[in-house]
This record gives sequence, structure tokens and C-alpha cells, in this order.
Amino acid sequence: MAAAVASSSTSTSQQTDTLKAATFQRLHPRIYLERFLAESVRPDGRALEQARDITVNVGSITTADGSSLVRLGDTTIVCGVKAEIAEPELDSPNEGYIVPNLDLPAICSPRFKPGPPSEEAQVLSDRLNEAFLASKIIDLSSLCIHSGKAVWVLYVDATCINYDGNAFDAALIALVAALRNTHLPKATYDEDTGLTVCSRRERIPLQINASPLSMSFGIFESTHLLADPTSFEEPLLDTTVTVVLTDKGELVSATQVGLGGTGSQDVLMSCIGIAKRRLAEVRPQIYRS
Amino acid sequence: MASRIEILNDGGFRSDGRKQYELRDISFDLSPQSSADGSASVSHGLTQVVVSVFGPREAKMRRETIHDRANINVEVNVAPFSAGERRRRGRGDKRILEFGSIIKSTFEPVIQTSLYPRSQIDIYVQILQQDGGVLQACVNATTLALASAGIPLLDFVCAVTGGVHSTSPLLDLTTLEENDVPHVTVAVMPRTGKVTLVTMETRLHVDRFEEIFRLACEAGKVLHKEMRAAVRERTGVLVAAIGAAPRGTSAGMDAGDRDVVMDERIDDY
Repeated sequence: MAAAVASSSTSTSQQTDTLKAATFQRLHPRIYLERFLAESVRPDGRALEQARDITVNVGSITTADGSSLVRLGDTTIVCGVKAEIAEPELDSPNEGYIVPNLDLPAICSPRFKPGPPSEEAQVLSDRLNEAFLASKIIDLSSLCIHSGKAVWVLYVDATCINYDGNAFDAALIALVAALRNTHLPKATYDEDTGLTVCSRRERIPLQINASPLSMSFGIFESTHLLADPTSFEEPLLDTTVTVVLTDKGELVSATQVGLGGTGSQDVLMSCIGIAKRRLAEVRPQIYRS
Repeated sequence: MASRIEILNDGGFRSDGRKQYELRDISFDLSPQSSADGSASVSHGLTQVVVSVFGPREAKMRRETIHDRANINVEVNVAPFSAGERRRRGRGDKRILEFGSIIKSTFEPVIQTSLYPRSQIDIYVQILQQDGGVLQACVNATTLALASAGIPLLDFVCAVTGGVHSTSPLLDLTTLEENDVPHVTVAVMPRTGKVTLVTMETRLHVDRFEEIFRLACEAGKVLHKEMRAAVRERTGVLVAAIGAAPRGTSAGMDAGDRDVVMDERIDDY
């Protein structure tokens, strides 16, 4: 680009410095991160226990019964809810189903190859399902249309369109926001024909009991606890910890994968404390809808 | 007896209130996704599509490299909640593979692949909402994403769907109209008027075809104006960002000179 014609010496030395920093980051990522953490700051300027900003946008996809678009820093997730009618299980005739799914396609990051859903996507989908079950986000009996004959099945599909680390937190926010945005048509089961009839006009919002919110952390070199890791930091962390709370501040689940503690603090308790503070911070943004 | 929705009523209005040749609301968004080299989000009315482009980069599969040009790879992903009925389509779905291969062959003659031998350009299409004209939205979004990635193209590729309802031509069809009316999707390169894609899967009388084909090409030129404006706006934002970078003593004059040079270049194109 010919724009670099007239530039003073200070700007060219700045450009070479930036180039050197970028090269160092690629060649020695671990040492690069260490140098930042020694100053108690992270490569993107955040404090160690600070999570990225969240943006939530609901209702933009009209073909879905409920939808949301969530950005956690640069990680962007689109989620849509589709409701269908099915027969309930024999041993729980009054309960509907919720089927969450997270997709990490090749579009979101160069590290995901095109192909069937990767192990990571499947594991995250399963963990999201567990978060839903443990927090009892929706009373499944409220999805019953007619006991033993017809119940609602809610398919909650989330797709990541840009990945910059911590898809789990972003996906959970997206799934919950989409469910809070969902309206189901009023359904009546006709005993004679065995068919369910849905009203074209009347739509009822879903009854949400508790909205789970998660916060993920990573431990670097068994010394530093980092909240909300980015895609640069993630591969360098040997332990990850995830804490899930409800919007009322109750603890739903705590998961730790990997060996470590940080030696100086009770990791799990401090994570729960940080997550509670985060919940208070982001509550107005996420739950205003 | 249920009343049928009229495709085109006596007053010349369609089911969504548009006139015959009126296109739906368009939005072109070129804001970047951080991991992709270029990305664009396009919506025609309720049809919404996001395309991300990676490349030219090292080919992942050695056997697919071509010695004198870049290999183009198109992947299409349809969100299960995008259509009226929830359907989870796997990657190997024949319809989706056909879709991807149509987009690939539309862009193969347009991208200057001979500049990047033995490398790969990946185009990932994500369909978020379908309300007719999905192929047109994908082609338009791919053009913008490629431009945003800085990949050299011979020209913009602008696509429009057209249909004929008894004898009246319609442009930019919704799902309701596509199910009812024979339709064709045309992609043109506006500067030369050359056509890179014509696809039709319904039956249409050959006398009607010429008219709708010509109309679709005209509509492509209209879209071209909008697409060019979107690219200019994005370039303006980038230029302003560069111009705002800290500089030495002759800051004001350099910024002024630089801006003038960039503007002339944009006008040439």
C-alpha cells in the first residue's frame, strides 16, 4: 500500500516494535504471557480476574421461536430456539424436553477443521445440557400439553460464528437469552383426532425459573488464575475451572479439569467469589430482556 | 375454504406489500470477525447470511493444491432454526454440497487465483435465516467478504432472483413466492455485464425467460451500487483509523495528503 510513503522515524520504529512483539508472541507464546502476568496484566490489557464485556441482542431471527446473538469480547454466538411437539417418555408422561446443542464450525476459527462436530463441540454441548438440568431452568412439566400424549420439545441450537476463547460461557448466556425470548403458541390437544392444534395468534412466553450464568477460569503454570481466557491464552492453561450460578446467586455446579491449584489461595472459593461479583455486574445487561 | 394469499394483486402489490420490481430491504455489514481474513453479513429482507473468508493460506490438504493457482474451497452451514421447520442438515447433505459447489463455480472465474499458486482460499457460508433468495444472499455476501479480505477480484458479483407470475415478472422473491412461481437466480459482473451464474430449477416458458433474465441483470447493477457504497464506507473507516495513528511533526499535512491519494484510488475503481 503506497500510504506508507511519508512516515516519520517514530512511526516506523513503532511499526517494527509491533512486528517484533507479534513475532515473539508466535514463537514463544508461553514466555510472552509470562512477561505480561509478571506485571499483573494480560495481553489484551485486562486484570487477571477481569472478564470481557458482554453484548446481548435478542429476537433478531424471526423464523425461530426465540433467538439471541451474544458477544463475549470477540467470541460471537448465534442461538435459535425451535419448538416441536412430541410424545413424552413413558415414565415421565408430564415432562417435555429441552435439547441444547452447540456447534463450533470451521467458520469461527482456523483451529476448527471442516467435518462432523468436533469432540470439543460435543463435550461443550453435553456440559450445557448438564447446566440446564442442574439449574432446573424450566419446569419441564410446564412444557406438557396433554399428559402422556403431547409435550413440547425445545431444540436450542447455538452456532459460534467467531471464536476467541471461552465458548462455554458465551454459549450459556446465548442459550438462556434465547429461551427467555421464546414464545410458544397456545396448544390444545384434540382427544378425538389425536392431533395437537396450535393457535396462530396467541403466543405465551416460556416460564423461566432460574437463569444460569457461568464463569470460566484457567490456571497458568500453577501460579496465576485467569478469568475468561481468550483463544491465545487457552492452550497455555493446564487447568480450567468453571463455576455455574443461577441469577439468584445460588451455586449450581463447579467443575475443575486438570491438576492444579495456585498454591497460595483456595482456588474454588475465590472462583465462586469472582463469579458472584460478575453476576452482580452483568445482571442488568443480560436479564433486562 | 382457506383463502389463498395472492402473489400479485390487481393493484400491482405483492403479498408483502412490494411492487413488482421492488427489492427487499438490504443491509450489508462488513464489520470484521477477528479470526477471519474477511467477513460480511448480508440480509435481503428476512434472509440473513454470514460469510467468512480465510486466505489465501497454506493448503491443508496437499493433494488438492494446484501448481499454478489457488484452490477455492466453499463450506456451507445451514442453521437448524433458519427455516420454517427445524431441520438439522449434516455437512454431507447433497443439497448443501450442491449449494457450495454452485458458489465455487460462480467465483472461480472471478477470483484471480493465478496470483496465489499452491495455496487455498476458504469460503465459509453460514445461513442464519431463510426467507427466499438464499443463493442470491450467499453470492452477494461472498463478494463482499472476498473484497473485505483483500483478495483480488475481476469485478463485483451481484446476484438477484427473478420469477414470473403468469406473465408478470417479479424480483427478489420470498419463500412464499418461490414455492409458487417459477424462478431463476442470476449473478452478473456489473461493469462488463458478464454473467457468472444462471440457475433455474422450475419450469418456465422460454418466451418469458428472456425478459426475466434481462430484468435480473439490471437489478444486479442496482445492487452493485449499494455494494460499492458499503465497501467505500468500510474503506473510509479504515482510512480514518490509519490517519489517526500517531505520527511525527508533519502530522497534519501527511494525513491530508494521504487522504487525497486514497480517495482518488477509490474513484478510479
